[in-house]
Amino acid sequence: MEPGTHRARRRSAAGAPVTRARRGDLVANVVDFCRLLRRRGLSVGPMEAADALRALSAVKVTDRHETYLTLRAVLASGQDAQRIFDEAFWEFWGAPQREVETRGAPGDEGTLSVDGQQALDRVLLEWHDDDETGGEGEQIPAYSPVEALTRKDFSAFTADELNEITAVVVAIARRVATRLSRRAKAARRGHLVDLRRTMRASLRRGGEIMEILRRERRLQKTRIVLLCDVSGSMDLYSRFLIQFVYALQHAVGRVETFVFSTGLSRITGSLAHEDLRAALDEIARRVPDWSGGTKIGRSLRRFLADHGARVLDDRTVVIIISDGWDTGEVDVLETAMAELQRRAAKVIWLNPLLASPGYEPICQGMRVALPYVDIFAPAHNLESLRRLERYLARAT
Amino acid sequence: MHPEISRIQNLLAGQGYIADRTIATSVYLSIALRKPLLIEGAAGVGKTEVAKVMARALGADLIRLQCYEGLDATTALYEWNYQKQLLHIRLSEGGERSVAEREAEIFSEAFLLSRPLLDAITREAAPVLLVDEIDRADTEFEAFLLEVLSDFQVSIPEIGTITAKTTPYVVLTSNRTRELGDALRRRCLYLWIDYPSFEKELEIVRGRVPAVNGHLAEQIGACMQLIRRIRLEKTPGVAETLDWSAALMALHRDHLDREAVEETLGVLFKHQDDATTVRAQWLDQLLESLATLEREGRPWSQELIARAADRLQARR
Repeated sequence: MEPGTHRARRRSAAGAPVTRARRGDLVANVVDFCRLLRRRGLSVGPMEAADALRALSAVKVTDRHETYLTLRAVLASGQDAQRIFDEAFWEFWGAPQREVETRGAPGDEGTLSVDGQQALDRVLLEWHDDDETGGEGEQIPAYSPVEALTRKDFSAFTADELNEITAVVVAIARRVATRLSRRAKAARRGHLVDLRRTMRASLRRGGEIMEILRRERRLQKTRIVLLCDVSGSMDLYSRFLIQFVYALQHAVGRVETFVFSTGLSRITGSLAHEDLRAALDEIARRVPDWSGGTKIGRSLRRFLADHGARVLDDRTVVIIISDGWDTGEVDVLETAMAELQRRAAKVIWLNPLLASPGYEPICQGMRVALPYVDIFAPAHNLESLRRLERYLARAT
Repeated sequence: MHPEISRIQNLLAGQGYIADRTIATSVYLSIALRKPLLIEGAAGVGKTEVAKVMARALGADLIRLQCYEGLDATTALYEWNYQKQLLHIRLSEGGERSVAEREAEIFSEAFLLSRPLLDAITREAAPVLLVDEIDRADTEFEAFLLEVLSDFQVSIPEIGTITAKTTPYVVLTSNRTRELGDALRRRCLYLWIDYPSFEKELEIVRGRVPAVNGHLAEQIGACMQLIRRIRLEKTPGVAETLDWSAALMALHRDHLDREAVEETLGVLFKHQDDATTVRAQWLDQLLESLATLEREGRPWSQELIARAADRLQARR
């Protein structure tokens, strides 16, 4: 097929969603379909497309339902992925009742016969390089920049309230921490006898076992990483936030604390001060852009790059405290969140604004971050924190 | 339909999977493409059964590796037969051979105990390897498994590399207590098994507990659809449905009423809390929903019962 017509066919494919006479050979269509899935977020690449072709050559492509089931088994590896797949399938190959009209779709050619290498070669021929930009318009829905956000004034906390909040937060943190380390303990069945080494050692003594050699299973402890937004939009909460972060770090071992606004600073060391006032002084001195704008995405990326390898593993709980009000690039935030979720055991996002009347997580930053958050909870008053604690208690 | 798919479908029917093309197609593809099949779904929907059906379809042996937290490569792969080694050392005492020679002797294949993974790749005829509840093993084990599944060879320091004689058919199951890595997912075909529909479950009950009369079977099926809408610690699966049916039979019940349900709650719910919740908060409504369904008349269908379940949920 000459390149021009190929391109045109694809463009119309994206433009007209309903009636679509797909032409050309099945291989080209399957590759196009795979590229569509990729743009919708499935991890589908040339290898998967080649597998899809191999799979199709093992079934009856005249049977539409069979084709559907086959492609789905190969290309959608998860329940969420299946939902995306279903939508894309009918959209791409035409609605079920239009079966007769669709051509070049599964159901057109009786059989397809390709083996592994052949399949991959053909896929690579078809798999053009313009897919990353999403050439045929799978655009993110237009976003109207800043919708009015209702803020609630939290500066009016009494000292008593602050203490109580701190106590609840510490309880939450303890619950998270002990829950995970209890699991670690259960896996550890005391000292393990290392028979292999024991046996080797005994050989040197004519098979007499003089000493039982042992090995230890590494005990992994939960670590908590706090990422605390101290930008201007969070200003009202900063005083209270730092106080509870301080309490948290003193109550639970293995807490790493970072604050961010336009940049990221590690304040674990500063918070180690016995005296809160001294700790606050030092933080104020060391954090250059206290109450500036926010670049959450960039700050998270910095965190991942500089500290990720050291503090993140599958026993780490990351708690982000922020209103999600990001003035940076949204896609940076999204990739950073995705990576964070992948590398940590759990990501908890506490949002002081969440319970304000009229607030929905509409600010762009919050919206892209949400899919990667395990627990999204308000943190504006005592009751909300208590609810979070109860929630965690149930999850235990 | 591809003839092999319908053959697998028939085998599935024998296991209570009535007319399930999705499962049959996935099993067939996994066999045809020699790609591992990852099955996810709630506990009790019969994921493990699928591996058994695959083994039957192939006439192959089934090797099962049950995962648990703390499972490590040694336990899954191989272990040395220490008793045998000890005995051998004793028996060969006083010989002329050097320590190195004797060491080489006792760390040879004759002293190796195959665990499921090694067993699976050293069979003459390709077996079905079932890696059950992979989500319970930790991520290190997942990475290790991925390596074995990619190369189908293992290296044992004392012996060297053992390469698979035949590539086993692999089925992995997960209850989704944790998300599996992307790398593993991409390597596998994927199958999601949901709780059965009313019609399907009815057929399962009739097939497995033939003594149940049609009326009671329908009540049981409907009741399961309703119960699965309730938030519980552990939602009862198909296994519980069958246990419940058998229990009702043993008590000579021919229809569901308050007494029959109360007597048998323990069979249906594995958590005491669940039994208590249902007895205290839901029993009236459940029986009422059933009565409404009876009044609406038969035949009962998934849609009809789903509507009743919606109403039940809305009332809370």
